Amino acid sequence: MRPELLGASPVHGEAAPAVELQGITKRYGTTIACDDVHLSVASGEIHGLLGQNGAGKSTLVKILLGLVSRDAGQILLHGRPTEIPDPFAAAELGLAMVHQHFSLVNELTVWENVTLGDTGRPDADATCELVRSIGERYGLVVDPLARVEDLSTGQRQRVEIIKCLRRDPGILILDEPTSVLTLSDSRELFSVLRRVAQDEQRTVILISHKLDEILNATDRVTIMRSGRVVAQRRTSEVDERELAREMVGRELSKWVAASALGNLDALVDPALSKDPAMFTAVRPVEDRPAVRMRIDSAVASRDGRPLLQGLTLELRAGEILGLAGIEGNGQHAIGDLLSSLLPLDSGEVRVDGVPVPAGRPGAMHHAGIGVIPEDRHQSGCVLDMSVAENLVLSAVPSVSRRGFVSRRRMRERAEELIERFEIATPSPDTPMRDLSGGNQQKVVLARELSQQPKILVAAYPTRGLDVGAIEYMTEQLHEASRAGIGVLLISTELEEILTLSHRIAVIHRGAVVGEMPRMDVDIERLGMLMGGQQA
Amino acid sequence: MSDTTVLAEERIAAPRGRASSRIRSWLSGYPTLLTYLISISVALGISALLVMMTGTSPWTAVVALYEGSLSTPASVGLALDKAAPLLIVAAGTVIAARAGLFNIGQEGQLTVGATVACAVAIFVPGPGPLVLVLSLLGGALAGAAWAGIAAVLFYKTGVPIVIGTLLLVFIAVQVLFFAVTQPWLLQEAGPEGDVMPPQSELLRTEVWLPHIGEYPGLNFTSGVLIALALAVIVAVLLRHSVWGFKMTMLGMNKLAARRAGINAAVLGGTALLWSGAFAGLGGAVMLVGGNHRLQPGISENSGWDGLLVALVAKENPVFAIPVALFFGVLRAGGGFLASTGVPRYLVDVVTAVLVLAVAFPPAFRILRRTWQARAAARALAQSGKGAAA
Repeated sequence: MRPELLGASPVHGEAAPAVELQGITKRYGTTIACDDVHLSVASGEIHGLLGQNGAGKSTLVKILLGLVSRDAGQILLHGRPTEIPDPFAAAELGLAMVHQHFSLVNELTVWENVTLGDTGRPDADATCELVRSIGERYGLVVDPLARVEDLSTGQRQRVEIIKCLRRDPGILILDEPTSVLTLSDSRELFSVLRRVAQDEQRTVILISHKLDEILNATDRVTIMRSGRVVAQRRTSEVDERELAREMVGRELSKWVAASALGNLDALVDPALSKDPAMFTAVRPVEDRPAVRMRIDSAVASRDGRPLLQGLTLELRAGEILGLAGIEGNGQHAIGDLLSSLLPLDSGEVRVDGVPVPAGRPGAMHHAGIGVIPEDRHQSGCVLDMSVAENLVLSAVPSVSRRGFVSRRRMRERAEELIERFEIATPSPDTPMRDLSGGNQQKVVLARELSQQPKILVAAYPTRGLDVGAIEYMTEQLHEASRAGIGVLLISTELEEILTLSHRIAVIHRGAVVGEMPRMDVDIERLGMLMGGQQA
Repeated sequence: MSDTTVLAEERIAAPRGRASSRIRSWLSGYPTLLTYLISISVALGISALLVMMTGTSPWTAVVALYEGSLSTPASVGLALDKAAPLLIVAAGTVIAARAGLFNIGQEGQLTVGATVACAVAIFVPGPGPLVLVLSLLGGALAGAAWAGIAAVLFYKTGVPIVIGTLLLVFIAVQVLFFAVTQPWLLQEAGPEGDVMPPQSELLRTEVWLPHIGEYPGLNFTSGVLIALALAVIVAVLLRHSVWGFKMTMLGMNKLAARRAGINAAVLGGTALLWSGAFAGLGGAVMLVGGNHRLQPGISENSGWDGLLVALVAKENPVFAIPVALFFGVLRAGGGFLASTGVPRYLVDVVTAVLVLAVAFPPAFRILRRTWQARAAARALAQSGKGAAA
């Protein structure tokens, strides 16, 4: 399908581009978020904006949407210089955005969410009809009368897109749209985008840090690094290796590129097993080491909803066990259980053979279970406390004497951990809030590992991180397993699971429904297990 | 640099209209100092106006306030005495606030504290100093127990702390009234057949808090020293102890605290108990330090004002010291002011206006941020992208 479009693009090249940014610059204090950025996007084109977290993609788009005011530069829409002082103006000019995090009211129905923000009396029938007609036109099928909380993540995203499309935007911007989607949902989304761009000559800007989706879905791609545009390419003329190099600014091994940048096909390519990085990653753990943790027939519920339904799991010393599954099948519950946040109705958790009382505050922690929670900035750290304080949170006694915290020892410990884990912070006293996502993650990791846990639970450890940080996390988790720590990796991203795990277990409806060694992984069977089919 | 910083700046920067942007940017450079000056000036203006409406010149009122509180060593002592219970209550309030709990029932905890302190002082036999200490402890324990009811209601059945502590105030006032109207309880005994007022008998002098200094020189009760010591101790513990660290963690992020092994019900409950204990102790100090006799209204709203002191001091126990002094000056001077013909309640009104003036700037900052965020959210919603969270 791409050749046709490329054939058409010279026509648009002659016409003024739909969006043209010239010399856009934006500074935050001494940090330059965008440095003399030029970007040109034609009508009817899907344009990828590729870059690591912090490369300036979001700032650029926020300038375009009137959310952030630029310091210098010019915006041209269809060749005319345009001022976009605020989001109202952006909307009037036909700019619409699908944000990475949904803004839907779960308790309301689909049509109610779509009509939200309108003035005047809501018209149920007309809105339902609108939802249906947009759905038919673009293949975004969703029941307008369904409540949002009953929808899958993919369906929720459809609602978000319908909310945008009903306003008939000329330019549609999507921010990391597949980060919450399953493989098939992502493919579906791309075909919708293709229709939007190709059949209706709308412009689509796709922001992403995943090479896969840039390669699969876009016509042209602009690559940003540290606030600058480093390359602009026709997608058909580049390969992932080149994209990765431009994006990261250095050569990556194919294995790292594949895993960190989201390329599933490469991960199951047998040729890759010759890669030395691959070898250490998926090498099976030898001679069955001791069982570190055993969860036995765990049953738990919250507010009458079942969360775990007889989940049994064994974690051995020095292995990384990947717990794969589709979002909402009990992953949260496992994380909460091992953080002492969830009591069990029946079943038990044993660490080194000793039962641990579930749900008693701090019990799992004392038993030697360290946790990197999925929502690290919400429950993994205290944003208003300093980096040094966050590095001790649960380990205050280790830096205190007779009930008093020793600032000096806390600082020493912080400095040591900051160096050892390469945490980029101006000082140990900097508020946690001021750190980047990757560095906040490092603080949580450093704190948990520095307490010499027997078991480390890592929930979505690389979500939202850039390539450098992903490489770093990958290496740290491997190192932890080499040191004999049993690592439980919880993730919905198969790439992450396949990259890291020695063994893979599949969770479905609050129970483990199957497992397999990483070496003998069978994607088909994995997919069926995740979908709840016996395989 | 970080996404969160960027986001915060955007919200503040979301500009609507440019005309006033220069003034606004200048203002935002000096938000605290300037807004404080403006709001206090406005408050003083309103106060002057109110005083004038009662037919007194504002200047006379200022002089009276000064004479009643700061003109002589004795009046300074009076101001100190008035400040002491406020500071004790405020120090306790800070503890609960640090753990993220908003105890607003100090008035009730203080009232119950005074009542139980009185009972101990009257009924417990023994040497004066010992009974005095027991009476103070009794007051603290009673205040803690009173707050404990609210804590149990919250952690067991989910009654919000604010509601629980507030409603218990009104019960506490009735408890005191009941106690001083029952001859078999605390009501003072009189000759057979006489109708006695609702109050306890005067405590024996051995159980009074020792007085420091002699009239007409600087003199005050030792309750002032207790208050100062407690404020400093609380400040040190909150800042340097493991307990304070955990408390702060709990107050700032309940989820992270739970993950770190903190039992919110235990630690938060303890914070609430301490807060109640301080208020109860404040009541005991008022009884054995000043009134020496339990009467309805003994609290003189010290519970409420102590809460205000903590709020104005932004939950900083050291900063609460000067704030409590300021309130003490207003209270001491206010009594004197009343003798010049200005109605007593006007002093309360002026105090309230001044408190609002001090509380306004931070509130204004938060409000402004909310307005801007809301404007941005509305704009987002209208542009079809949904509201910004």
